[in-house]
Amino acid sequence: MNTQLVKYLIENHAALLSPPVSGDLANIYILFALASNPESAGMEQWEANLAKFWQEIREIADLCAGCFVFASRSYGSATLSSRDVSVEYIDVQALKMIHNSTVSAPVEFVRPIRSLSCENAEEMTLSDRLLSVLDSDAAATPNKKVLAKLEHFLSTKPASYRLGHERAQKFTPHSKFIPVCGNRSHTNALANIASITGNRVLSLDGNQLAATEQNIPGLSRCVQSKIHHIPNLKPQTDKSLGDCSYLDTCHKLSTCRYMHYLQYVPESLVQAVAARSRELNDLESDSKSICLYTRNLCCSVASKSVLPAQWIQCDVRKFDFSVLGQFSVVVADPAWNIRMNLPYGTCNDSELTDLPLELLQNEGVLFLWVTGRAIEVGKESLRKWGYEVCNQISWVKTNQLGRTIVTGRTGHWLNHSKEQLLVGLKGQPEWLNRQCDVDLIVSSSRETSRKPDELYEMIERMVGPHARKLEIFGRDHNTRPGWFTIGNQLAGDSLCEPDVQQKYRQFLHTQRAGPGRSSAAA
Amino acid sequence: MSHERTASKNNNENSRKRKSNVSLRAAAHLHSNNYTDHYIHTGALPQKNVRNTDNPVEGYPNLQKLFRLKEKQVANHSSAPYGCRLDIDEMVPTLKNWIHNEKMVFDVVMIGCLTDNQFIYPLLTGLPIDKLISKPGFLFIWGSAQKINELTRLLQNDGWSKKFRKSEELVFIPVDKKSPFYPGLDNDDQVLFEKMQWHCWMCITGTVRRATDGHLIHCNVDTDLSIETDCPRKSAIPSHLYKVAENFSTATRRLHIIPARTGTEFPVKVRPGWVIMSPDVMLNNFDYKRYREDINKVGAHLPVRNEIELLRPKSPVQKRNS
Repeated sequence: MNTQLVKYLIENHAALLSPPVSGDLANIYILFALASNPESAGMEQWEANLAKFWQEIREIADLCAGCFVFASRSYGSATLSSRDVSVEYIDVQALKMIHNSTVSAPVEFVRPIRSLSCENAEEMTLSDRLLSVLDSDAAATPNKKVLAKLEHFLSTKPASYRLGHERAQKFTPHSKFIPVCGNRSHTNALANIASITGNRVLSLDGNQLAATEQNIPGLSRCVQSKIHHIPNLKPQTDKSLGDCSYLDTCHKLSTCRYMHYLQYVPESLVQAVAARSRELNDLESDSKSICLYTRNLCCSVASKSVLPAQWIQCDVRKFDFSVLGQFSVVVADPAWNIRMNLPYGTCNDSELTDLPLELLQNEGVLFLWVTGRAIEVGKESLRKWGYEVCNQISWVKTNQLGRTIVTGRTGHWLNHSKEQLLVGLKGQPEWLNRQCDVDLIVSSSRETSRKPDELYEMIERMVGPHARKLEIFGRDHNTRPGWFTIGNQLAGDSLCEPDVQQKYRQFLHTQRAGPGRSSAAA
Repeated sequence: MSHERTASKNNNENSRKRKSNVSLRAAAHLHSNNYTDHYIHTGALPQKNVRNTDNPVEGYPNLQKLFRLKEKQVANHSSAPYGCRLDIDEMVPTLKNWIHNEKMVFDVVMIGCLTDNQFIYPLLTGLPIDKLISKPGFLFIWGSAQKINELTRLLQNDGWSKKFRKSEELVFIPVDKKSPFYPGLDNDDQVLFEKMQWHCWMCITGTVRRATDGHLIHCNVDTDLSIETDCPRKSAIPSHLYKVAENFSTATRRLHIIPARTGTEFPVKVRPGWVIMSPDVMLNNFDYKRYREDINKVGAHLPVRNEIELLRPKSPVQKRNS
């Protein structure tokens, strides 16, 4: 097939069909011949060439049924001859399709074969030629081609993933990000320049910084653009001992002989970064107000306000879960009894696995924090509640310096630098934005058993801001707009959904009545 | 507020500071980054921000010394490196022969590596694995989180759960998506989060007590997490997997079974102190007689060394007694 001709027809179809050419085949031939070879002198045998051209046109018409409509001036004759035929209509879409299917894919393969057949043929040895044929597309067996196609399909994620990912990007506000300097010589040099009072860095000495710059080029620029951790040297500090295991959480700062550090970021840098992220967020708020891709979210996702934080203080083990209704996502951070003396009350395995969590979701996702022995108990419980473990998120706990925690006998046999979060999936929810995030959180550890807030954002990206979300065994710092929190360490109740308010009132009523009646009976 | 006042006072005292046109005054509040957000906006993976990937014990000179001493001691008391190249189907019969006819026993057995398509469960159930491992002995099983999740079945099996106790769950994280250890999303459309980790069960058989069995095990030296480091000579198995086992147990008889094809791009290398059984291991030099001679020469356990004893983390009970 003459692909050049197809391309020519696609590009010039309008001109060819309208006057003065009016689809006359002979004229089309002359125009095409001139376009493809301007100095063409082949006009002598143009009768023969026209016949050949007509042959090519018919070839295209055979390959792609209905792409041309021909008209003949000599009515009644059974066969069309090249002289008196004209083209009435060209189906450009059909031509484009055959053009793409013949041209786009094999381009890279066509060339070597051509060059092989013409000029380079003599230079190449027979084995080289055979090898090049083997490499070419022509040698691929049909099975191999199908397999390659299947692999391509399997590795290509549907557009919904990309759209979901892009939307997540738009809906996630830019937070202030300042990189951390990892250069030890900077740290040591800054120790002599910083003015430190009351365990805070107040400022750096500009003159000394300029002087040090000569030894460490790029220092002042680094200071202006990154976070630095400056040694907090005290009379009792013994540098040879190395860093304190507790660093900024050390309780004996005034006597501890190990190294401690203070964070230093110039105020100007923080302001610049804050201004930049505010600018980016303002830019994005425009595109957010009209969200065209609303799949899996409510249509008014950008304008609808998020419910305020709701919580109920209760003993989760004795609470009637039917009060709460259904949730898209449930997060639970139970105080597993892992045979350690912890500063808070723990629950027995059976108390946890007997919780009627199956009431909370017909389909949805449950996140369960587990540790040590509880990993297996947790997996078993998830299965019992009707979930399938589909992910296991690791929270890599870091310290003040952004390093993983490697000291302090944090585990029984090995030290623990991470915590595990099981992700259970129930049913086949179609409304999830999958794989926006990775199964990894890197963030610093805070108070005992307090989990990273990054998880909330990951969940909100997965189910959207308006989906109902529940946290069980939450504390005050876990309450959050758009979330429902229950736990015994919360302060009082705060409800705004009327149906939950009503059911909760009923629950309290029956509870108050319950024990009273039983004591009366006793 | 008082902090700001002292800052300005400080500025007045030290007029030189005014000369610099850029203010170097420190920010009043601590800054912390959100690496999860940062990933969403830039694609920079969270693990890239961990600052001690290359040297996990950075900042702790005593621990650095301990790691050096232990590495030296392990190297000094190692059998020659052995490879045993076998098809996956031949592994169970061969290991049965080792157990029943050759009476071979290992103290540390590692199974699996960082690939999908491993035949771990059939291997574990097809073998009297408790006879292959001494008591006390240690079993490390590496695989995808999904594969390791399937092992939970073993715990419901009385025969297994009475002999082995799962004691830790280890995690290995590849450095980025270009890493040869990036797990990808093979046959896994259900996952809600992109996978970035490999898991390992560390099991103990027999009895060891961490407070009193310091001649057998050194606890709390390594952590349950390792992040891939850029290593110029790539191998199918990152050396960290071996190091965790070597640092934990003082035993010298170590076996690694890889029930998977790992391909030719990244070879399975041999390692001093280990017998490595794999269809793709580079050497095929295993010989019972030579191995036994090696072990007799170096001893079944590393000798207790005072320098190491002083440095290694110990249970608080022991500290109070001494």
